[in-house]
Amino acid sequence: MNILRRLNNPVLFNEWKMRMRSGRSPWMIFSYLLILGGITLFYIFLETDGGTYYNPNDTRELFMMLSILQLGMIVFVVPGLTSGAISGERERQTLSILLTTNVSATRLILGKWLSSLSFMTFLVFATIPLYAIVFLYGGISPVQVVKVFGFYLITMFGIGSIGVLLSTLIKRTGISTVVTYAIVFGYSIGTMVLAEIIREFIRYQRRMGNLPSSTNSDWTDIIYSLNPLFAILHIFEEGPTNNVGLRYGTWFPAIDPFWYYVIFFGMVTVVCLLLAIYAIHPVRPRLFRAARKEK
Amino acid sequence: MIRIQDLRKRYGKMEALKGLTLEIEKGTVFGFVGPNGAGKSTTMSILATLLEPTSGKAYVGGYEVTERPKEVRKLIGYMPDFFGVYDNLTAEEYLDFYGANYDIPLAERKQIIPQLLELVNLTHKRDAYVDSLSRGMKQRLGLARCLVHNPEVLILDEPASGLDPRARIELREILKELRDMGKTIIISSHILPELAEMCDVIGIVEEGNLVAFGRVDEIYTKMQEKKLLRIRLLDRIEETMEHLRQQPTIAGVTQEGNWIAVGFTGDDQQQVELFRDLAVSGYPVAAFNEDQGDLEEIFLEITKGVGS
Ligand SMILES: Nc1ncnc2c1ncn2[C@@H]1O[C@H](COP(=O)(O)OP(=O)(O)O)[C@@H](O)[C@H]1O
Ligand SMILES: [Mg+2]
Repeated sequence: MNILRRLNNPVLFNEWKMRMRSGRSPWMIFSYLLILGGITLFYIFLETDGGTYYNPNDTRELFMMLSILQLGMIVFVVPGLTSGAISGERERQTLSILLTTNVSATRLILGKWLSSLSFMTFLVFATIPLYAIVFLYGGISPVQVVKVFGFYLITMFGIGSIGVLLSTLIKRTGISTVVTYAIVFGYSIGTMVLAEIIREFIRYQRRMGNLPSSTNSDWTDIIYSLNPLFAILHIFEEGPTNNVGLRYGTWFPAIDPFWYYVIFFGMVTVVCLLLAIYAIHPVRPRLFRAARKEK
Repeated sequence: MIRIQDLRKRYGKMEALKGLTLEIEKGTVFGFVGPNGAGKSTTMSILATLLEPTSGKAYVGGYEVTERPKEVRKLIGYMPDFFGVYDNLTAEEYLDFYGANYDIPLAERKQIIPQLLELVNLTHKRDAYVDSLSRGMKQRLGLARCLVHNPEVLILDEPASGLDPRARIELREILKELRDMGKTIIISSHILPELAEMCDVIGIVEEGNLVAFGRVDEIYTKMQEKKLLRIRLLDRIEETMEHLRQQPTIAGVTQEGNWIAVGFTGDDQQQVELFRDLAVSGYPVAAFNEDQGDLEEIFLEITKGVGS
């Protein structure tokens, strides 16, 4: 009952309504499909040399390419969708009215977050026909497909929540968008570079004999598994990520690195949303007020 | 209904409110007057739980605004000085959205919204997109929006600014209806005469201090006691002035070009007689005007030193 009440979120419904009415949405869907479909079809065309024959062994490659491309699109589009969620409302001068209504901060933030992400989900679902073409050729495990879509979802959640948080903290949408992109790309490239540095460092120390050759390199694997690109590659058993904990038996649970990614992004989501909920109200609830006075 | 005690708000080094104290009774229409930058919007934002005061207390319906913001929000309908609307919604959907935000059930909203549109004369615009409405209509829709949850207190920040005279009159009519419904209304403006017509009580704020506070009807009574008459003459100005000075109902006579300004203390009947006397005596009177005087000046004179 309570859950149903919570889902009954006017902010969310209103966003859906307005999103579907805006003239921009059809164009976004169109361009999204054009880019993703264009590249995929072009790739198929190249692989088949323009002919009709297609080697089923190459399907895996095609599916991988499509999945990574889609990930790239998600990473690129979600910041744009979410980083104006609250600041846009502020700039439109509708936020103050909304804050004087009964709508709770939680409902407001969740409504904004969910509405942006549901549009992204919609875009991803709109590309299913493309996957159908790929599946036509066969040779893909259903588990991988489920994993890839789960991976998209949690990535969207994480990046989306960062966008919403920055949109709450930063008054201007322009700046909030730039910062969100900077953080997302900085994170993607940063984890890659960091993992490489640690790996090289361990390798160097081993060569110098400072470390036994059995030294634990789980840290690099963990960092690799938190990088979106390497994480998705790992779903296809590609890329540098190893299964953490398997080789050295450390205290890191020996689970599929996929779950490390899911847990980490899940935590990012929860933390960012909670911070956004806390930050949005100009006058804080009593609990925090009392705590501050005691200082 | 509303009590403000020693309210202060500082923006950096700038002190926007310097210990404002004010009390507004239930059911009154309170006019909040002051020049731009006096602190009206700041006070109203604090009352609307949108801004935290640096110090001091503000109560709405007995609830302190920073301690019990949720309760306060249920009691108030707030209209900011500038507000935006959602482009892709119709007037009806706009009101429905805010109604839903107040957890009003759908069936009830379906009932209230036509009534609200009726109240603000926008029934014919029910299905029009909000951004296609004129400024006056948006303002009225905003007023309807303030009323969806039937609040006891309305906080309206300069609702008449930027409206043409016709739209102002429409707004004033709606406010009269709301007053008759027993709502407590705070309405701000930087023009006193504009508010004096529709308010019961006026408070004047300057640089974060309340400098005057009083009932409008008392002020009008005072104003009745002294009136400013202006008479335009074609000729014989000196002579006329001399003649006027001898009348018992006249307090002062000054010349302003072709016009003579006369401080008049008599009633309407005596005013008629004065006019007849001038005409009969053969003075070349071209115009005879009655001037309400500067309301603000009189107001400040009567209520001097209230806030300090
Ligand atoms: N966010 C703000 N930051 C800094 N100064 C502000 C801010 N808001 C208002 N002020 C200042 O506070 C004073 C009072 O402003 P305001 O309450 O808007 O006045 P009014 O509504 O009576 O015109 C002004 O001098 C204004 O410049
Ligand atoms: Mg103002």
